[in-house]
Amino acid sequence: MELTIQSKQTGSTKTLKLKGILDISTSSIIEPYLEELDNVERLIFDFSELEFIDSTGIGSIMNAIYLSKEKNFKLIFNGVDEMTHQVFETVGLYHILEEIHKEDI
Amino acid sequence: MYFDNFTFHFDQGTPENELEKSLQREINLARNIQTSLLNGKTPKVEGGQVSGNSLPARLIGGDYYDFYPLVNGKIRIVIGDVMGKGIPAAMLMILTRGAFRSAAESTQGPGETLTAMNQAIYEDLRTLKSFVTLFCADWDPKSGTFTYANAGHHLPLCIRGKSNTIEELPKVKGIMVGGLPNQIYHEESIQLEDLDMVFFYTDGIIEAQNKEGELYQITRLKETLLQCKEKDVKEVEKAVIDTINHFTSGVPQKDDITMVLLKVFDSKADITSFNSPIF
Repeated sequence: MELTIQSKQTGSTKTLKLKGILDISTSSIIEPYLEELDNVERLIFDFSELEFIDSTGIGSIMNAIYLSKEKNFKLIFNGVDEMTHQVFETVGLYHILEEIHKEDI
Repeated sequence: MYFDNFTFHFDQGTPENELEKSLQREINLARNIQTSLLNGKTPKVEGGQVSGNSLPARLIGGDYYDFYPLVNGKIRIVIGDVMGKGIPAAMLMILTRGAFRSAAESTQGPGETLTAMNQAIYEDLRTLKSFVTLFCADWDPKSGTFTYANAGHHLPLCIRGKSNTIEELPKVKGIMVGGLPNQIYHEESIQLEDLDMVFFYTDGIIEAQNKEGELYQITRLKETLLQCKEKDVKEVEKAVIDTINHFTSGVPQKDDITMVLLKVFDSKADITSFNSPIF
């Protein structure tokens, strides 16, 4: 199983569409996309074709959350299905995304 | 390497072979260390039984569970899942164990324990871009009260022995350890009665996959637990592992599998004195 990422930039908004599986074997694929984020005001993760995410995949999304603080852009999750939503809710990802821009972390 | 019908013979002497053998030895030693620390002596509990089991997907894993008997007769139980798999996860699992042992001794309840653990290892986890989900609970055999706090982990299942029902514990919010600094972890409590059982688990169980790519899922886990609720904790553990093996039928295990069980025999045991900690 693989992960493919479709990247699209419109103005200062970048969309990364994740298709397949984001896990320990594929999470390194996302890193170059995050490293090249400059002059971006909004990063949209489109999860509508994401089939599965494990803890290493959640770690990649966490890195993007921390990067959004560091590089001062807004991070948006689109197309989150019920299973992924439950995982994000359980580990506290939404809460971290909400809090990180408020606090001096 | 060649095989002469009796023995495998390895080419000797090349630096690559020596390095490979040395690494293999070290991995085996690391596995022994982790297995010994994880599957140590299970404490005896008045009025109940506890048990834990962890099966790494690779040689070593990142799942964690532990028991810590407290001076007041309660027992503190923790289960956790470090991000990732294999050796890196195993190293952070040891870090987590140290933090739990130290926090359990100096904190009043499971919420405080998780707060102290997050304080202790948050910086390290952020530096390493990792995190750990943890669920921590105190069981008081004297009163039958089960108090718990959660740091981003699956909530355990509670099997009610007398009514043949199974339910997830009431929700209590809390984010993963390593996600944000200065976290307060709130506590919830339930009352456990005679023959009730609490089943703590990591996602390797419900995400076990068969040949068709289907997941084992929580519904199969619940069915299994209801079918064997009258058995003792070790037999329940075995039944869960057997049904997962039957379901996956030879498909290699992808994630670490860990479970902890607490079964109550008499929620209000007549306990007059306690010694601590007892291992």
